[in-house]
Amino acid sequence: MSNEEAIGHRTHPLTGAVQGALWGGGAFLAILGSLISGEGGGVGVAGITFGVGGAAVAGVIIGLIAGYVGWYFTRYVIDGTELRITHGVLTKKSRRIPYERIQSVDVAEPLVARIFKLAELRIDMAGGSESTTTLRFLPIDEVRRLRRLLLARAHGESMEIGGDPVVEQRSLITRVPTERIVIGTMLSLDFLAAIAAAIAAVVAAFVFDQAALAFGVLPTGGAVIQIIAKRVIEQWDFTLSRGDRGLRIERGLLSRTSQTIPYDRVQGIAVKEPFVWRRFSWQRLEVDVAGYASRSGDDAGVDISTLLPISDPALAEAIIAELVPARTEVITTDRPTQRSWPFAPIGWRYRWIEARHGVVVSRRGWIERTTCLVPHVKSQSVEIRQGPLQRWRGVATVEVHTPPGPVDVDGSHLNQSEARRFWDDQVARVH
Amino acid sequence: MANPFDPVVGAEWTRVSPALIKVRRLTISLPLTALAIGLFVAGGLIESARWPLVAAAALVFSGAAWTWSWAERNTAAWGYAETERELLITSGVWWRRLVAVPYGRMQFVDVQAGPVHRLFGIATVTLHTASTETAGHILGVEAAEAARLRNALTELGESRGAGV
Repeated sequence: MSNEEAIGHRTHPLTGAVQGALWGGGAFLAILGSLISGEGGGVGVAGITFGVGGAAVAGVIIGLIAGYVGWYFTRYVIDGTELRITHGVLTKKSRRIPYERIQSVDVAEPLVARIFKLAELRIDMAGGSESTTTLRFLPIDEVRRLRRLLLARAHGESMEIGGDPVVEQRSLITRVPTERIVIGTMLSLDFLAAIAAAIAAVVAAFVFDQAALAFGVLPTGGAVIQIIAKRVIEQWDFTLSRGDRGLRIERGLLSRTSQTIPYDRVQGIAVKEPFVWRRFSWQRLEVDVAGYASRSGDDAGVDISTLLPISDPALAEAIIAELVPARTEVITTDRPTQRSWPFAPIGWRYRWIEARHGVVVSRRGWIERTTCLVPHVKSQSVEIRQGPLQRWRGVATVEVHTPPGPVDVDGSHLNQSEARRFWDDQVARVH
Repeated sequence: MANPFDPVVGAEWTRVSPALIKVRRLTISLPLTALAIGLFVAGGLIESARWPLVAAAALVFSGAAWTWSWAERNTAAWGYAETERELLITSGVWWRRLVAVPYGRMQFVDVQAGPVHRLFGIATVTLHTASTETAGHILGVEAAEAARLRNALTELGESRGAGV
């Protein structure tokens, strides 16, 4: 055992093959994309076929070799205090993940990996731009076992490394029907904007009698299809369930993702109600978890902070109550003064910030209404600021800082003495 | 009416070192002045583009003069205060800011000093929380005070740390 501890474990030998297939597919799509957009004009069908096929084969081969070399030099060690991952051929890189800094642990199964029953483990830590660590690929059962182990350790419970952690009890909260996601997407603002742009292009073509303008439909039409396909594929079979350690989100049609958000790592919640959705009283719930923001770059983590893509108010309220235990009675409510209208001619009427027992709540937006909740124990710092124009109007802005993410609690353009009083009280409350 | 950017009751601002004024003049105003002189001389030599160059020189020089006085006003606006439970930081003349960072929320504390800063014996102390919006910089802290502040804050952060 001690020997194994020193050397560490390897990931699954098929890692190289899966990586190769992913890269080959990527190269194939890239070449295909550039051909369709007309960059490879004048090569002929045979040339195109040859080019695409060649790129795919080359991508697979290079990917196989790189994937194998990467796999060969990757090791991971789980000991009493931390998870350590070493990799790199020429420069050795070693990443230490102390258990107590783990914010969340996710399991992702890209399509190719799913075929081989493999999965990758993603671990988020707080702070820093590279706070996400991935370990790819391992057999799915092993990944699930590691996740349970890491989550248990993150909560300070010791667990035998070799022993099988008890299977946790989970209960289903909700499963979002796919047709609801489709309808919700079709009524969302970005989708409606894309439709409007397409209609505008057609109308312009008629008005100016320029058929060429009608081609403006193509990119917007493409955008429309992309929006729907991406949301539906990513949020397919969106399942939210409750476990001992936290909420579990499972979603995806082609690539399955399974996120675990420990209850005490939720930094704040945002409730979003786009314009059209409000008629049906639908809401979208998003969460702030430290470390998630650094993942917005990779395409697998686009909607990673979505807690519930579409929900009715009763369910949303029940989930919020579970995550942010707070009493609902209001201590103070502050609204922007009328003097602040130059900063937001319409919006100022729709904004407020409210201090409650245990939580601070802010509301903004009249097209997409956003309500943000941050528990006082999770507020990182409290700011009051004032620019020259704000000084001229006698207003100031207070803001409660949270880790990067969808949640933003601020009281914009309050009367400056009110803003200061709110700041004073909030500073006292966060302790 | 009370100033909304006063420290909390019972706290006093510790102002940052005036050496920051010199550092800023040396690193911003002086290079701008040199550029203005360069442009002016070039204007004297190149006859075809004399007036544009002289105008540019005047513009750059007025910029340099403005940063000269800005350095003093802005430096005087920086301050911090250690209260019982949090650190307060204030800054800015036009865009004023006051932030309170509870000791328990601090993840770590950085002290940074570039070559010019070291020459004048000052450093920048930065408090990091889990939020990037905290932006807990304190500019122009004297080196010895910076070290003391770092140790004191780290200790307070550890004894009160609640984690993320």
